Amino acid sequence: MSAPEQPPVETQDAVATALEEPAGLEQEQEFKLLPWLADRGIVLFTLVLILFAAVFVDGFASLANITDVFNRAAPIGIVAVAMTFVVISANYLDLSVVAMVATAAVTLIAVSNSTGSIAMAMLAALGIALVYGLVNGVAVGVFKANAVIVTLSTTFIGLGILRWASGGSIYFGPQDGAIREFGLAKLGPFPLSMLVLILITLLLSYVLTRTTFGFLVKSYGSNRAATRLAGVNTAWVVIGAFVISAIGAMIGGFVLAAFSNTAVSTNGTGYDFRALAAIVIGGTSVFGGKGSVLRTLLGVVFVSVLTNLMVLSGLGFGLQQMAIGALIVAAVSLDALARKAGAA
Amino acid sequence: MTDQQQDTAPGLDLVSSEGLSQWRKVLARRTEGRAVALLVIVSAVTLVMEPIVFTSYEVTLGRLALIGLVALGLTAVILMGELDLAVASTLAFSGVVMASIDNLALGILAALAAGLLIGVVNAFFVVVVGINSFIATLGMLFFLRGAAFVLSNEEPVRLVARDAGIAFGRPLLGPLTPRILIFIAAFAALQLFVTRVRAGREFYAVGGNREAAYDAGIPVRRRIFTGFMISGFVSALAGIINTLERTAADPTAGSTVLLASFAAAIIGGVLLTGGRGSIVGTLIGAASLGILQVGLTLSGVQVDVQNIVIGAILFIAVITDPSTLRAVLGNARAFLRSGSEAQPQTG
Repeated sequence: MSAPEQPPVETQDAVATALEEPAGLEQEQEFKLLPWLADRGIVLFTLVLILFAAVFVDGFASLANITDVFNRAAPIGIVAVAMTFVVISANYLDLSVVAMVATAAVTLIAVSNSTGSIAMAMLAALGIALVYGLVNGVAVGVFKANAVIVTLSTTFIGLGILRWASGGSIYFGPQDGAIREFGLAKLGPFPLSMLVLILITLLLSYVLTRTTFGFLVKSYGSNRAATRLAGVNTAWVVIGAFVISAIGAMIGGFVLAAFSNTAVSTNGTGYDFRALAAIVIGGTSVFGGKGSVLRTLLGVVFVSVLTNLMVLSGLGFGLQQMAIGALIVAAVSLDALARKAGAA
Repeated sequence: MTDQQQDTAPGLDLVSSEGLSQWRKVLARRTEGRAVALLVIVSAVTLVMEPIVFTSYEVTLGRLALIGLVALGLTAVILMGELDLAVASTLAFSGVVMASIDNLALGILAALAAGLLIGVVNAFFVVVVGINSFIATLGMLFFLRGAAFVLSNEEPVRLVARDAGIAFGRPLLGPLTPRILIFIAAFAALQLFVTRVRAGREFYAVGGNREAAYDAGIPVRRRIFTGFMISGFVSALAGIINTLERTAADPTAGSTVLLASFAAAIIGGVLLTGGRGSIVGTLIGAASLGILQVGLTLSGVQVDVQNIVIGAILFIAVITDPSTLRAVLGNARAFLRSGSEAQPQTG
């Protein structure tokens, strides 16, 4: 917003920096608090938060509680690391994960109950996830529509279909099925779902940093016009980002369903902004082009510990939502101010 | 140009005539075309299927006022190329603020002040801090939703002045209830503001080309503040009306308002990139959605299915943005023709 506000000043600054380029190296070494916080702050924030929790909050540092944090962090984390691709491609966020998480959870339990085949249920959910990713991606990438409005409308369509089809009823999985076993399985204090989160994070981190597609997502996020002029078919980049986000939401829905062994159409509520909070607090920029999957993982740790603290301290749903809303605005403000400070 | 049109819509040429190209010119110049088309289709179908929608027009008008009021305020912000996703939460929050104050007049004033303050905070983050308005108002959406829950102890707050609420639901002028009258007043005021008042006309300049507006000496920052304050104020007004009509403030109120108001504005031809659109367009968009909703409800269609229909309309409206559609169709053709060689043109 600042650029159009004060174009003369900006231009002067740009010229000034261009002229002083030899001195630029020295400037880089000069310590600037805001850019440093926006870039590295997450590690500090997370450590301080965990330390604070361990010392001051009763019941945080118990094995049962930490397992619970992991259990709750896994689905939100999987959704967030996958949605990071959409944010890095400068398409703000994917609101439709709310509908996708719930649809995947209900599909997994309902279809495996009725057909007896978990593989079949997973395939059905994968089909739905691909439809979500393609519809969002084509609307944003090919039709150049606003990602927030597109995913807002697909959320309502998706949730409408899900509620209409399920009648809003709760589906219970069998007490001794593979889904239940997965939900209860543990490696030491870590639930198996945590391992899934870490594997997916590593895989997506590889995709983002080591493949051409990942490079193009970043490139498209930082400069659309240049990426297009370089001969890249940008529509595929956007479609790819939304498909990854949808598949991540699907796996998040699976993990959530396995954890509770139930599924209902309200399962995805809150996943949109919790995931966004994790992404932006991790230091991925909503301006696009900058960020990483590993940062999001750190953000997930932060948001999960914070949520756990709020629950342990008896804060109600309203205060939790206020805190996360404020957290999103604070993290993005920090990024925006750091950009200004860094550019000056 | 003509070739391209024949390519994209060969069906239209079956009715070819001079009049048609005249129509095309009008539709190309005005962005309200889709809204008018939707209104005609919806009205025609409803007239045949559920004529009661028009005979009991006060119900339909009430519905229109419900959807349209928030959309009108939203239009002011979208004209400048910004978004206000916090409108629905502002509605819920201001309603709770109003109901938690025992004195009715004081409650209404407090709610309106809350709406204005929310607008100022939104604009502060957009203009001064420099966050994208999508994200700033999204954070505000969650924050206010939470605040409404906290303030109301997570349950509906009863309005002390119940009689005022009941009186508010009665027709005041002919068959028109106060809600409809307030909607008409808000429509007239905003329409006058953006077409006749200098500050309002400058909204178009800010949305059309912000740097040019800045160079032309338009106080861009102040206009954005004004826009968000209008949107916050109108949302608070909608929250007050809701609370009065139901004689209680529900912290979850307005969950469908977000979708419906965006749908009304976008169908009405208000470009999300700013600079084009009109209050009248939003009115037509809201009217078509209102008639559609009442028609669907009267035919016994479930709320879930209504959400699907409105979501689908919003989806179609947002991907068929009239200003970029032609370039986009070209892109889409190039995209389908050849996988990796495609070189989409500017959208």
